[in-house]
Amino acid sequence: MFEFLRHKEVPLGSHWMGWYYLGGITMFFFVVQVITGVLLLMYYQPGEATAYESIRFLTTKVPFGWLIRSVHSWSAHLMIISLVLHMFSTMMLKAYRPPRELTWVSGYLLFLLTLGFGFSGYLLPWNKLAYFATTVGTNIVRSVPLLGNWLLEVMRGGQDVTINTLYRFFAAHVVILPLAFVGLIAMHLLFIQRQGMALPVGAKTAPRGMKFFPSFALRDVLLWMACLMVLATLAVFLPYGPGIPGMDWELGQKADPFAPAYPGIKPEWYFLWEYQLLKEFPPHLFGLEGPQVCLLLIALLFGIWAIIPWLDRRAFRDKPSPAFSDLGWAAILFLVYLTLTGWDIGAGGASSDLAAIQHSARVCAWWTLAAGAVVVVFRFLRYEHRWFFLTGAALLQAALHGLVGISYLLAGVISVALAAVAIAIRRVLFPQANEKDVT
Amino acid sequence: MKTRALLVGLILIPVAAFAAEPSSVSPDPKLAAMLDAKDENGKPIITPEQRAYFDGLNDNLKGLLNQAVQKERITRPQHLALFLALGLRPQKMELVLQNNCILCHTDSEAQSAEDLFTPTSNPPAHMNLKEIVDDVHFRHGVSCAGCHGGDATADMGHAFVKEWPESNREKNRAWVVQFCARCHSDPAFMHDFNPSLPTDQLAKFKDSPHGRTLLEKHDDRAPSCVSCHGVHGIRPAKDPLSKVYAQRVPETCGACHADAKIMAGFTRADGSPLPITQLAEYRTSVHGRALLERGDLGAPVCNTCHGNHAASPPGVAQVSRSCSLCHSANASLFDGSKHKQAFDQHNWPECGKCHGNHAIAKTHDSMLATGPGQLCGDCHRQYANNPDCIPTADYFRDTIAKMDAARNNFSAVSERLAAKGLDIEPINNQLTDLTDALKKSRTYVHSFSRNTFQQVAMPGEQAVQSTDSLIQKAQEEYKYRQIGLAASIAVIGLLMLATYLKLRQLEK
Repeated sequence: MFEFLRHKEVPLGSHWMGWYYLGGITMFFFVVQVITGVLLLMYYQPGEATAYESIRFLTTKVPFGWLIRSVHSWSAHLMIISLVLHMFSTMMLKAYRPPRELTWVSGYLLFLLTLGFGFSGYLLPWNKLAYFATTVGTNIVRSVPLLGNWLLEVMRGGQDVTINTLYRFFAAHVVILPLAFVGLIAMHLLFIQRQGMALPVGAKTAPRGMKFFPSFALRDVLLWMACLMVLATLAVFLPYGPGIPGMDWELGQKADPFAPAYPGIKPEWYFLWEYQLLKEFPPHLFGLEGPQVCLLLIALLFGIWAIIPWLDRRAFRDKPSPAFSDLGWAAILFLVYLTLTGWDIGAGGASSDLAAIQHSARVCAWWTLAAGAVVVVFRFLRYEHRWFFLTGAALLQAALHGLVGISYLLAGVISVALAAVAIAIRRVLFPQANEKDVT
Repeated sequence: MKTRALLVGLILIPVAAFAAEPSSVSPDPKLAAMLDAKDENGKPIITPEQRAYFDGLNDNLKGLLNQAVQKERITRPQHLALFLALGLRPQKMELVLQNNCILCHTDSEAQSAEDLFTPTSNPPAHMNLKEIVDDVHFRHGVSCAGCHGGDATADMGHAFVKEWPESNREKNRAWVVQFCARCHSDPAFMHDFNPSLPTDQLAKFKDSPHGRTLLEKHDDRAPSCVSCHGVHGIRPAKDPLSKVYAQRVPETCGACHADAKIMAGFTRADGSPLPITQLAEYRTSVHGRALLERGDLGAPVCNTCHGNHAASPPGVAQVSRSCSLCHSANASLFDGSKHKQAFDQHNWPECGKCHGNHAIAKTHDSMLATGPGQLCGDCHRQYANNPDCIPTADYFRDTIAKMDAARNNFSAVSERLAAKGLDIEPINNQLTDLTDALKKSRTYVHSFSRNTFQQVAMPGEQAVQSTDSLIQKAQEEYKYRQIGLAASIAVIGLLMLATYLKLRQLEK
């Protein structure tokens, strides 16, 4: 083991090696989650009359209890942010190329488990916001074809969100998910250690390398300490989060199943795009219920994301695959536009008012177009990318929906169709163009 | 096999019977023809909704409709459509179809416009069919004949209006109260309908200024029962559509009392003209806004202070009695104060002297101001020479103002501390005590005694000190957190520096 670490090297090349640290940062936040989670567990008492009260006691009476909860919440969000960045950097660098397909799949499963951690942990304080957000969130499962009602009952432990749901979520959050996560993380790390860090596309050997121990490991430690500083600062100055919807964990009032649900309930920020996509679907489509079609589409997108190493045939042959680089950027812009509209950016919170919704879509479209323009120019100049069809489709959809005002789905169909036509024309007119593309 | 078939049969037969409940009464041929009749354009006169309503009627009601058609109480499809369009519940429909007066007086071809009941609100309100079917008397079975005489269920026989004054009934309305009182002043009779309803209305009315004006002076501008309760659409006072429902009382009273023409010539006890500004003043008052804007039915309305059937302006002595019905603590404190004796000497209406009457505004701490042109100051300079009074009022005002300012300031600070993640529960508990003390202090001003006031203000002043101390503690806690963070960052920074130096050393 020691010998292995002594000889292990991290490849250095033309790419920025900062991307290599994101996995370590994500793991650091996970370790913080485990430590603070265990400390929370010493005081948390799941139960109708104790869940909320125990968290309240912890944050108001227990010395540093507020700090533990605040660090746990901040660390959860920062872990998801670093995980998403890690995943997209892997995608852009095509680090999923053989023989690392299973590393990608294990990472993808870790990502799903992290979302599960977020969803199950949200309900545990048993406060009003968590109760209604979980009611809305679990209700989506009802739309799963054939199994919807059964799945809903399995998740909730009954027809409604009750204390039985809390017990289930608690068990999932502190036992089932951590066990699965630790197993998968071990597998993920084993793959990385066996196969080493990925080289840039086309490079057979790294021009130079960095000793993993101590050079890379100490850099990792330096970054972790910097992350700890940021985490502590955020936890002290913003103990309930930045106060934006989906990133706010003030305890508030205790959950009351008999109280009416209040408007404007939003899920955590990393679920906002799905929440917004559901809202963009009509009640019925193709003979199915709108939410059912939407869930099928989301499942399809997640499915595609899982098998990308096998879909990207050019990267498979260690050749530049600009289409998949572009797919990664298009996915980011697609998520950005939906997340911004889900946040009602520019609507002043009046999301029920049609004019406010249109205004919000317009503002979000401009932001997305601006971000897209920066991305395209940067890729064009810095990486000499010339393949922008999918990014163009994502931007066109945002523009058609937000600026022109046509429905989101129709805008999507038009954009994808135009992108398909453009790709086909390019293939017919410039059959050799792909060979000249980079990354 | 046979047993199974028998069991299935036993289950299915009652189910089928239950499912096939529709009426067994088939429409009379005349009625059937009316139901299918079409107008000159070939369009059905009975609309699909009306037909659906008819189909849903029970056997009894269909039988009554058959009977009405056979006896030619309903003669035309349009007349039938009028009843079906009402969409009444079965109980009400039964009352309507058993009432020959209504059956005839709803036929526009047989009746003059004056005698016609229609469901529209265009004709005079007292002949509105929709109103009469909601009338409390009608619903209890006291229908047309109850007042007009005759027998509404029998064949036509015009023994109508035999109990009415034969002459002069339009000019002199004094008979109305006697007419209603035949039943409403009879406890035994009223017991059958509503045992809890008082039967002293006439006695009270006779004694009231309204009653005296109507019954003794025979002035028709004075109200009778129907002026406030309506005629054919009388509803219980708890019904929001009733003219005497709390939120409608100001309008009902104001219909006369805000009308200069009606009120002309009426005077107060001192001979001054009776004002007509009460309604406008009431609407802007704290009571009026509570009732009319916030829908607070506990807020006082005209009859809360003046009475209803015995309505009269409260005399000087009764003003405080009216106010004390709700503001009992203030009234009790006032009764024990030095002001009570002084006000009695001057014959001032107690509460009204400072707070007014119909236009009572929300009280404010500035009412305790002692400067020139201000409430306490002006009165005391003019009528009282006690040198302690002005300093006492100043003390009241200053103490309340300090508590109020402290509460507002602490609330804002408390919110800021909460946003910083500090435990504000103890602060909020003290703020609750402070708010209670502030409310009590404002009430105990009515004792006009420094010692009595101090007893309730002191816990408030203590709460101010406690809250201040808790806030300081919370702010210190926040500073401690910041210092702790700075120390942690310094330690981590040093570790980072050491790690960096070690890394450089190793890589050299």
